[in-house]
Amino acid sequence: MPSTDKTVAELTEIQSVDIEAALDPAEPDGVYRDSRECAALALTSGTTSLLLSPPTPRPKKG
Amino acid sequence: MEQSGTGALLQGAVQDLSSDVASALRGGGHAPVTGGPEDGITVAAVRVLGADLLLPHLLARTPPPPDTLDTLRQTVSAFPPRTDAAPTVVWSHWAMRRTLRHFEQPPDSTPAAEEGPEPDGAWLDGASWQYLTHQLAVLAPLAVPGADCAVARAARSRPVDVARGFVRAVRRRDWQQAAGAGRWLTLLDGVPDTLGLDGGLDFVELMGGSDPRVALQVAAARAMRRAGALV
Repeated sequence: MPSTDKTVAELTEIQSVDIEAALDPAEPDGVYRDSRECAALALTSGTTSLLLSPPTPRPKKG
Repeated sequence: MEQSGTGALLQGAVQDLSSDVASALRGGGHAPVTGGPEDGITVAAVRVLGADLLLPHLLARTPPPPDTLDTLRQTVSAFPPRTDAAPTVVWSHWAMRRTLRHFEQPPDSTPAAEEGPEPDGAWLDGASWQYLTHQLAVLAPLAVPGADCAVARAARSRPVDVARGFVRAVRRRDWQQAAGAGRWLTLLDGVPDTLGLDGGLDFVELMGGSDPRVALQVAAARAMRRAGALV
């Protein structure tokens, strides 16, 4: 295959991938600026559950 | 997200086309689609924009320019969905065929223009309201007055869920999804008045209208709302 044809074929293939991605997009991550939404996210996220745990007990004075 | 060279070119072409269509929907005229069948990026961009290429003509009931119709016809032929394509890919292709058929004279003139059997809409059965709204927004070109199909029926049967999805999209600042969902909501009966759709669309335009794809959906929603159309 001539190099020009090969390049066109490759571009077409890339374009098809790009088109499929545009027509079947995954939902983007939300950008939350609301504290209630953030809290809901934290509640459903296993990795950040520590943030919602009670504060570490401190030894009583005296 | 990093894009390939062709991806960036394609996105730019889609935005240019979207801007033209949004302008036409606002009454600012409709620039002819530049390029021809030999312009691969333009045809690819039309594939992404889909049936919305002719939306101004569909709503205004005016015949599109022959070269624009030719470009859509060329796009339908050039990008048939694969057998394993995602539902949104298959449905967007069907929407283009349906639009072509609408404008073809006579309606059954060429096999390429025939819309063919309706694709399967079962993937939306029992979908969560979040997923339903996302898929409807991706398939916003199907949201046109008086045009029935399985996707429109799914939307029509769950107006409150779509309204909920619209609010979620706004809160997530996903303006494209919000604009697409808003366009569907203008066509649905039973949308809660408390949603404040007009104000919501204003907000979406204010926040995300610099993206021509968002501007197109908001302009489409407003044009259909002015017409008082329902699915």
